[in-house]
Amino acid sequence: MYGNGYIENDGKPVNSLTVNEDPIKLAAFEARIAAGDKIEPQDWMPAEYKKQLIRMMEQHAHSEIIGALPEGTWITRAPGFRRKLALMAKVQDEIGHGQLLYSAAETLGKSREQMTNDLINGKSKYSNVFNYPAKTWADSAVIAWLIDAGAIVNQLANSKGSYGPYCRALERICAEESFHLKYGHDNVVFLATGTPVQRAMVQDALNRWWEPIMHFFGPSDKESIHTETLMRWKVKMGSNDDMRNMFLDMYVPKIWDLGLTLPDPNLHKNEETGRWEYTEPNWEVFKQVINGNGPCNKERLAVRRKAEENGRWVRKALMKPEEKYVNPLA
Amino acid sequence: MEFTDKHVQGLKDLLYKMADDLLILGHRNSEWTGLGPILEEDIAFSSMAQDKVGQSLAIYEILNQLGESDPDTVAFTRNANQFHCSKLVELPIGEYDFSLVRHFFYDHADAIRFEMLATTVVEPLQMVAKKFKGEIKYHTMHADVWMKQLAEGSDESKMRIQNAINETFALALGMFEPSDFEAELQEAGIFDGEFVLREKWLNKVVPLLESFGYSVPDATTTIPEFGGRKGQHTEYLQPLLDEMTEVFAIDPGADW
Amino acid sequence: MKIVSLDPRVTRSNIDENTQEGVLHEKEHFQTYEVFEQKKRGTHHIHAGSVHAPSADLALVFAKEQYSRRGQCVNLWVVKTADIAATDYDDADIFETTSSKLYREPDAYKVMDRINAFKERQKSN
Repeated sequence: MYGNGYIENDGKPVNSLTVNEDPIKLAAFEARIAAGDKIEPQDWMPAEYKKQLIRMMEQHAHSEIIGALPEGTWITRAPGFRRKLALMAKVQDEIGHGQLLYSAAETLGKSREQMTNDLINGKSKYSNVFNYPAKTWADSAVIAWLIDAGAIVNQLANSKGSYGPYCRALERICAEESFHLKYGHDNVVFLATGTPVQRAMVQDALNRWWEPIMHFFGPSDKESIHTETLMRWKVKMGSNDDMRNMFLDMYVPKIWDLGLTLPDPNLHKNEETGRWEYTEPNWEVFKQVINGNGPCNKERLAVRRKAEENGRWVRKALMKPEEKYVNPLA
Repeated sequence: MEFTDKHVQGLKDLLYKMADDLLILGHRNSEWTGLGPILEEDIAFSSMAQDKVGQSLAIYEILNQLGESDPDTVAFTRNANQFHCSKLVELPIGEYDFSLVRHFFYDHADAIRFEMLATTVVEPLQMVAKKFKGEIKYHTMHADVWMKQLAEGSDESKMRIQNAINETFALALGMFEPSDFEAELQEAGIFDGEFVLREKWLNKVVPLLESFGYSVPDATTTIPEFGGRKGQHTEYLQPLLDEMTEVFAIDPGADW
Repeated sequence: MKIVSLDPRVTRSNIDENTQEGVLHEKEHFQTYEVFEQKKRGTHHIHAGSVHAPSADLALVFAKEQYSRRGQCVNLWVVKTADIAATDYDDADIFETTSSKLYREPDAYKVMDRINAFKERQKSN
């Protein structure tokens, strides 16, 4: 579950970082991408391409692993067999996605251990949305439906990107996400069409999650930094606003269809432009949360630290330091 | 042969204890999902937890056909003293050593129980036993590989598993607490009984663990932790149930 | 301060909110094995991805759930990534086939024209 998020670039425009690259190799690399061909791990690639891809795949992987926590909040309390089994399978899938994405990132030479350390040290980021608490059962339904829906919009676009291993991982992931989306929708529909208590529960969850969902696709194009090169390299596959618009177009009508409301009186589709208009979410809050000050940042990382620590004796017992580590091939 | 009331009672008792064991252990093991020691193992352990809950559902469905309430009601509205699970399955997950050893002990018993039930005269149970054969085979395969690897791993891992074996053995023997219907179940061809199961289990797990280099407490002198099958549980079951049913209990009549 | 979480599992784990533990050492996640999956008998094993595992036995146990928990599979192979030899993408031109190798292709053998011409000649004789 990963949104368009923040492939930030330490504030520097990417273009300036290609100046040291061999122009002939760079041209061949760009021509390959322009032709719709994929880049494989062993290919020559600009250092900046590699860096941005590792960052993106890593953020994506972390988002899966951390994303398992808000929904996991309800794993022991899912009501009834149908939900209990499905939620277990869904949280499991997120871990599976994390595994696939870490492997894809490892093909470029960053080890799982390094990535995990950067996560728990707060050095690398994950989708902001997972720093919010899942207060009620209905939160887990809203996450499963709408966060996964947002992630699918982003992931389907990214699966047409240029890096072979990432595309392959995303192909598998997207197939599984369609189960998540169906499950989440089913779950929200049951609550929205259920008893007054259930309905109030899901409306409340929706109210609380709306801003994080709007944040999920990253800052407005007006505010986000240079991305042309990343778009040309097919690292970034769509603008944040385009992705957000696509999501709104697909899901707002479905939400309204259930008689649920969204906490933005200005939200509407401009029929002339075909684009959705809305109150700009508070990007200050977004930055605050990214920088560690969200409601759950601290807990999320502490939980990961503890989980790694608890598993250490198992791994230590089995590891073979004398063996050579090789990057996964593909 | 025509079933008497006692046969049906015995069958229900058997089904309840199987289903309750599976549900409670599946629930416990699902607590590891997202928090396991290795991503790949996290996935594997979660699958097995799902399998257990799924198997419990299949057995509650048989009970439903026998006139008991529907599976959701049975699983999500009873109190601890109405549960027939063994004490082994209700304990908290502890550290991974305990969870693995419990998994090893339980799944071997489960595999043998289902194997014995593959020839039961109760047709839906026979079908369930056959349906889940593959799932259970994977569970024991997983457990065996882990026991073996941790025996060969570090001094710490071997010691941890050994300690967990020592501490869990009496609880594991508690799985085979005889019911009040052993004779009826046997005579009707429903199930050969807990004693037979226990012997088969000991013949399987003891040599296996010894072959990995562990020692196993003496079953003849260990006092099994009985009571679970009769609704006498540890202090851990009721809080588990309170947690599991928290959302369901908001409105048990609602469709969730 | 111990974390009191909305997630009862987390609360039970007794986690100090300022914990600094959990930092991994290199190779703590072992090596990788590449996984090949056969969907049904008679078909090829196809590369599915990789798993981190300390041994082939555990790699198989892990691969089964990571790659085959949905859908069909009848057989799995795992092999240490380190044991795979591969060609270099820079050498992909070795696979390019030239027009002078047309003799390997069925299309290079078109005899109907010749047969028809022969038949025509036979008729006119």
